Amino acid sequence: MTCDQKVTYYRGIDDDRVFKALADPTRRHLLDRLFERDGRTLTELESELEMTRFGVMKHLRLLEDAGLVVTRRSGREKLHFLNAVPIRLIHDRWIDKYKERHISALVDLKTQLEGSA
Amino acid sequence: MTTASVTTTQVYQLFIKATPEQVWDAITKSEFTTRYFYASRVEIENGRRRAYGPNGELWGDSAILEEDPPRRLVHEWQGLYDPELAAEEASRVTWEIEPQDGGVCKLTVVHDRLEASPKTAASVSGEGWMHVLSGVKTLLETGEPLFAER
Repeated sequence: MTCDQKVTYYRGIDDDRVFKALADPTRRHLLDRLFERDGRTLTELESELEMTRFGVMKHLRLLEDAGLVVTRRSGREKLHFLNAVPIRLIHDRWIDKYKERHISALVDLKTQLEGSA
Repeated sequence: MTTASVTTTQVYQLFIKATPEQVWDAITKSEFTTRYFYASRVEIENGRRRAYGPNGELWGDSAILEEDPPRRLVHEWQGLYDPELAAEEASRVTWEIEPQDGGVCKLTVVHDRLEASPKTAASVSGEGWMHVLSGVKTLLETGEPLFAER
């Protein structure tokens, strides 16, 4: 692996992975559950979803890869914690910047999104 | 949006483009902490972590539980900057620095043992730690503070 690719990978963690992780209702639901109460086991999270254990694990893995969920071991249990830092960084990078410019920013965003589609 | 219940273990994690030594210095040396940690001057000395406000007032004076530069720092936490927080039991803060590929470090902060300190838990939760962590990332990556210095 060259240095350049590693840099790309690092950038990827920061933005692309977070946006992709957030672009799914089940994963947003999991984040909301953790927002309400942090430090839950897979079994707890699974019990609130109409989904197989494997399916929930897959979603949690994607959230973990994006840095939105951090797992810690507590005895024999693996606990899932919400890590809101990546969302905050995206907020600082993408939302704050546009907030000051109000309407013109929305137009810019629309142009940008449509242009890159 | 519903209000989050304040949990007794808070986990924050982020990637910083810096060496473990740079991250270690940023969290243990006052010339860095004054630029992102609510302007506090942090001093690690004789098994204590002391933090001073801009006018020299004591904001924190806690025992260091583990010190393994540049990878791991564990210390107690008690907010002396507010009488209500100062009256609560000491909680614990763990800093973990893990080098990644490409000159990047993963920094994890775990603030736990907050069971007996609900006011502290609420005050550091979310915005509190994120202000510090996005500040340290910006400072290390750009050399400039995220927020205007006082």
